Amino acid sequence: MNPDATVGIVLVSHSAALAEGAADLASQVAGGPEGVAVVPAGGTDDGGLGTSEAKVADAIKRADRGAGVLIIPDLGSAVLTVRALLADPEDLPGRVELADAPFVEGVVAATVMAAAGVDIEAVRAAAEEAWNARKL
Amino acid sequence: MPASFEQVVTLDGDLHARPAGQLAVAAAKFTADISLTAGDKTANAKSVLAVMGLGATSGQNVTASAVGPDAEQAVAAVVAILADATKVGG
Repeated sequence: MNPDATVGIVLVSHSAALAEGAADLASQVAGGPEGVAVVPAGGTDDGGLGTSEAKVADAIKRADRGAGVLIIPDLGSAVLTVRALLADPEDLPGRVELADAPFVEGVVAATVMAAAGVDIEAVRAAAEEAWNARKL
Repeated sequence: MPASFEQVVTLDGDLHARPAGQLAVAAAKFTADISLTAGDKTANAKSVLAVMGLGATSGQNVTASAVGPDAEQAVAAVVAILADATKVGG
Protein backbone atom coordinates (compact mmCIF):
# COMPACT_ATOMS: atom_id res chain seq x y z
CA MET A 1 0.00 0.00 0.00
CA ASN A 2 1.22 3.48 -0.88
CA PRO A 3 2.07 5.21 2.44
CA ASP A 4 0.32 8.38 1.24
CA ALA A 5 -2.87 6.51 0.39
CA THR A 6 -5.84 7.28 2.62
CA VAL A 7 -9.06 5.39 3.17
CA GLY A 8 -11.97 6.92 1.27
CA ILE A 9 -15.41 7.33 2.85
CA VAL A 10 -18.78 7.01 1.10
CA LEU A 11 -21.94 8.26 2.78
CA VAL A 12 -25.11 6.52 1.68
CA SER A 13 -28.23 8.38 2.72
CA HIS A 14 -31.86 8.40 1.65
CA SER A 15 -31.48 12.17 1.39
CA ALA A 16 -28.98 13.86 -0.91
CA ALA A 17 -28.94 16.92 1.37
CA LEU A 18 -28.21 14.79 4.44
CA ALA A 19 -25.34 12.95 2.72
CA GLU A 20 -23.85 16.19 1.41
CA GLY A 21 -24.19 17.97 4.75
CA ALA A 22 -22.63 15.12 6.71
CA ALA A 23 -19.76 14.90 4.21
CA ASP A 24 -19.16 18.63 4.48
CA LEU A 25 -19.19 18.56 8.29
CA ALA A 26 -16.85 15.56 8.55
CA SER A 27 -14.49 17.00 6.02
CA GLN A 28 -14.29 20.32 7.91
CA VAL A 29 -13.71 18.62 11.27
CA ALA A 30 -10.94 16.48 9.75
CA GLY A 31 -9.08 19.51 8.41
CA GLY A 32 -10.61 20.33 5.05
CA PRO A 33 -11.58 18.68 1.78
CA GLU A 34 -8.01 18.26 0.52
CA GLY A 35 -7.26 15.65 3.19
CA VAL A 36 -9.67 12.76 2.76
CA ALA A 37 -12.16 11.82 0.04
CA VAL A 38 -15.59 11.90 1.68
CA VAL A 39 -18.11 11.33 -1.07
CA PRO A 40 -21.89 11.66 -0.60
CA ALA A 41 -24.25 9.24 -2.34
CA GLY A 42 -27.73 10.38 -1.34
CA GLY A 43 -31.15 10.12 -2.90
CA THR A 44 -32.50 8.23 -5.89
CA ASP A 45 -31.40 8.64 -9.51
CA ASP A 46 -34.33 10.99 -10.14
CA GLY A 47 -33.54 13.14 -7.11
CA GLY A 48 -36.11 11.74 -4.69
CA LEU A 49 -35.71 10.26 -1.22
CA GLY A 50 -34.17 6.79 -1.36
CA THR A 51 -30.91 5.17 -2.34
CA SER A 52 -29.32 4.31 -5.67
CA GLU A 53 -26.86 1.53 -6.48
CA ALA A 54 -25.56 3.57 -9.41
CA LYS A 55 -24.85 6.59 -7.19
CA VAL A 56 -23.10 4.43 -4.60
CA ALA A 57 -20.97 2.69 -7.24
CA ASP A 58 -19.93 6.05 -8.69
CA ALA A 59 -19.15 7.44 -5.22
CA ILE A 60 -16.97 4.42 -4.38
CA LYS A 61 -14.89 5.00 -7.50
CA ARG A 62 -14.48 8.68 -6.67
CA ALA A 63 -13.55 7.95 -3.04
CA ASP A 64 -10.87 5.38 -3.87
CA ARG A 65 -7.37 6.63 -3.00
CA GLY A 66 -5.71 3.22 -2.93
CA ALA A 67 -6.27 2.27 0.72
CA GLY A 68 -9.84 0.97 0.50
CA VAL A 69 -13.24 2.57 0.83
CA LEU A 70 -15.49 2.51 3.90
CA ILE A 71 -19.23 2.88 3.31
CA ILE A 72 -21.46 4.34 6.03
CA PRO A 73 -25.23 3.97 5.50
CA ASP A 74 -27.92 6.04 7.23
CA LEU A 75 -30.89 3.71 7.68
CA GLY A 76 -32.19 0.22 6.86
CA SER A 77 -32.66 0.05 3.11
CA ALA A 78 -29.43 1.95 2.44
CA VAL A 79 -27.78 -1.18 3.83
CA LEU A 80 -29.71 -3.33 1.33
CA THR A 81 -28.62 -1.14 -1.57
CA VAL A 82 -24.97 -1.37 -0.54
CA ARG A 83 -25.13 -5.12 0.05
CA ALA A 84 -26.68 -5.68 -3.38
CA LEU A 85 -23.84 -3.72 -4.94
CA LEU A 86 -21.11 -5.47 -2.95
CA ALA A 87 -22.51 -8.88 -3.88
CA ASP A 88 -21.16 -8.31 -7.39
CA PRO A 89 -17.95 -6.35 -6.80
CA GLU A 90 -16.06 -6.82 -10.08
CA ASP A 91 -16.05 -3.16 -11.07
CA LEU A 92 -15.22 -1.87 -7.58
CA PRO A 93 -11.76 -0.99 -6.25
CA GLY A 94 -9.87 -3.53 -4.13
CA ARG A 95 -11.28 -3.27 -0.66
CA VAL A 96 -14.73 -1.91 0.06
CA GLU A 97 -16.33 -2.38 3.48
CA LEU A 98 -19.66 -1.53 5.03
CA ALA A 99 -19.62 -0.05 8.56
CA ASP A 100 -22.29 -0.51 11.21
CA ALA A 101 -22.17 2.97 12.71
CA PRO A 102 -24.35 5.92 13.72
CA PHE A 103 -24.44 8.23 10.69
CA VAL A 104 -23.16 11.63 11.85
CA GLU A 105 -20.85 10.47 14.64
CA GLY A 106 -19.58 7.52 12.62
CA VAL A 107 -18.81 9.63 9.58
CA VAL A 108 -16.97 12.26 11.63
CA ALA A 109 -14.95 9.65 13.58
CA ALA A 110 -14.08 7.70 10.42
CA THR A 111 -13.04 10.79 8.46
CA VAL A 112 -10.76 12.01 11.24
CA MET A 113 -9.03 8.62 11.42
CA ALA A 114 -8.71 8.44 7.64
CA ALA A 115 -7.07 11.88 7.71
CA ALA A 116 -4.48 10.50 10.14
CA GLY A 117 -3.56 7.92 7.50
CA VAL A 118 -4.50 4.75 9.39
CA ASP A 119 -5.70 1.57 7.63
CA ILE A 120 -9.28 0.60 6.84
CA GLU A 121 -9.65 -1.67 9.90
CA ALA A 122 -8.82 1.26 12.20
CA VAL A 123 -11.10 3.64 10.29
CA ARG A 124 -13.96 1.15 10.49
CA ALA A 125 -13.31 0.52 14.20
CA ALA A 126 -13.47 4.27 14.90
CA ALA A 127 -16.79 4.52 13.07
CA GLU A 128 -18.28 1.53 14.90
CA GLU A 129 -17.00 2.68 18.31
CA ALA A 130 -19.05 5.83 17.77
CA TRP A 131 -22.06 3.94 19.16
CA ASN A 132 -20.41 4.38 22.58
CA ALA A 133 -19.74 8.11 22.37
CA ARG A 134 -21.89 10.15 24.72
CA LYS A 135 -22.72 13.75 24.00
CA LEU A 136 -23.39 14.80 27.59
CA MET B 1 8.98 0.44 31.07
CA PRO B 2 7.52 2.73 28.37
CA ALA B 3 8.10 6.45 28.55
CA SER B 4 5.33 8.52 30.02
CA PHE B 5 4.85 12.25 29.80
CA GLU B 6 2.35 14.82 30.97
CA GLN B 7 1.70 18.54 30.50
CA VAL B 8 -1.05 20.96 31.47
CA VAL B 9 -2.35 23.68 29.15
CA THR B 10 -4.92 26.40 29.79
CA LEU B 11 -7.38 26.80 26.93
CA ASP B 12 -7.76 30.17 25.21
CA GLY B 13 -11.10 29.18 23.75
CA ASP B 14 -13.68 26.41 23.82
CA LEU B 15 -12.67 23.06 22.40
CA HIS B 16 -15.01 23.01 19.38
CA ALA B 17 -15.38 20.44 16.64
CA ARG B 18 -12.63 21.65 14.33
CA PRO B 19 -9.82 21.89 16.90
CA ALA B 20 -10.99 18.54 18.33
CA GLY B 21 -10.67 17.05 14.84
CA GLN B 22 -7.27 18.60 14.29
CA LEU B 23 -6.13 17.23 17.64
CA ALA B 24 -7.40 13.69 16.98
CA VAL B 25 -5.84 13.60 13.49
CA ALA B 26 -2.47 14.56 15.02
CA ALA B 27 -2.81 12.21 18.00
CA ALA B 28 -3.72 9.19 15.85
CA LYS B 29 -0.35 9.42 14.11
CA PHE B 30 1.53 8.53 17.33
CA THR B 31 2.11 5.08 18.78
CA ALA B 32 1.69 6.25 22.39
CA ASP B 33 -1.66 6.10 24.17
CA ILE B 34 -2.66 9.72 24.69
CA SER B 35 -5.35 10.99 27.01
CA LEU B 36 -6.79 14.38 27.83
CA THR B 37 -8.29 15.24 31.18
CA ALA B 38 -10.51 18.28 31.72
CA GLY B 39 -12.30 18.61 35.04
CA ASP B 40 -13.63 15.17 35.95
CA LYS B 41 -13.62 13.82 32.38
CA THR B 42 -10.87 11.95 30.58
CA ALA B 43 -10.84 11.20 26.85
CA ASN B 44 -8.73 9.21 24.43
CA ALA B 45 -7.07 11.96 22.36
CA LYS B 46 -7.27 9.78 19.23
CA SER B 47 -11.09 9.75 19.37
CA VAL B 48 -12.56 12.97 18.01
CA LEU B 49 -15.95 12.14 19.55
CA ALA B 50 -14.40 11.60 22.99
CA VAL B 51 -12.40 14.83 22.70
CA MET B 52 -15.55 16.77 21.76
CA GLY B 53 -17.36 15.03 24.62
CA LEU B 54 -14.95 16.57 27.14
CA GLY B 55 -16.84 19.83 26.70
CA ALA B 56 -13.65 21.72 27.58
CA THR B 57 -14.11 25.47 27.67
CA SER B 58 -12.06 28.64 27.62
CA GLY B 59 -9.90 29.13 30.71
CA GLN B 60 -10.07 25.47 31.69
CA ASN B 61 -6.91 23.50 32.38
CA VAL B 62 -6.48 20.41 30.23
CA THR B 63 -3.91 17.76 31.12
CA ALA B 64 -2.40 15.89 28.18
CA SER B 65 -0.69 12.64 29.15
CA ALA B 66 0.86 9.94 27.04
CA VAL B 67 2.46 6.55 27.58
CA GLY B 68 4.56 4.90 24.90
CA PRO B 69 7.77 5.20 22.93
CA ASP B 70 6.87 8.59 21.41
CA ALA B 71 5.04 9.93 24.48
CA GLU B 72 7.05 13.15 24.75
CA GLN B 73 6.52 14.13 21.09
CA ALA B 74 2.86 13.15 21.34
CA VAL B 75 2.24 15.40 24.34
CA ALA B 76 4.11 18.27 22.66
CA ALA B 77 2.02 17.94 19.50
CA VAL B 78 -1.28 17.76 21.37
CA VAL B 79 -0.41 20.68 23.66
CA ALA B 80 0.60 22.82 20.67
CA ILE B 81 -2.77 22.19 19.04
CA LEU B 82 -4.68 22.87 22.28
CA ALA B 83 -2.79 26.13 22.73
CA ASP B 84 -3.20 27.26 19.13
CA ALA B 85 -6.44 25.89 17.79
CA THR B 86 -8.59 27.03 20.67
CA LYS B 87 -7.63 30.65 19.91
CA VAL B 88 -9.64 30.62 16.68
CA GLY B 89 -12.62 28.59 17.88
CA GLY B 90 -14.60 26.67 15.31
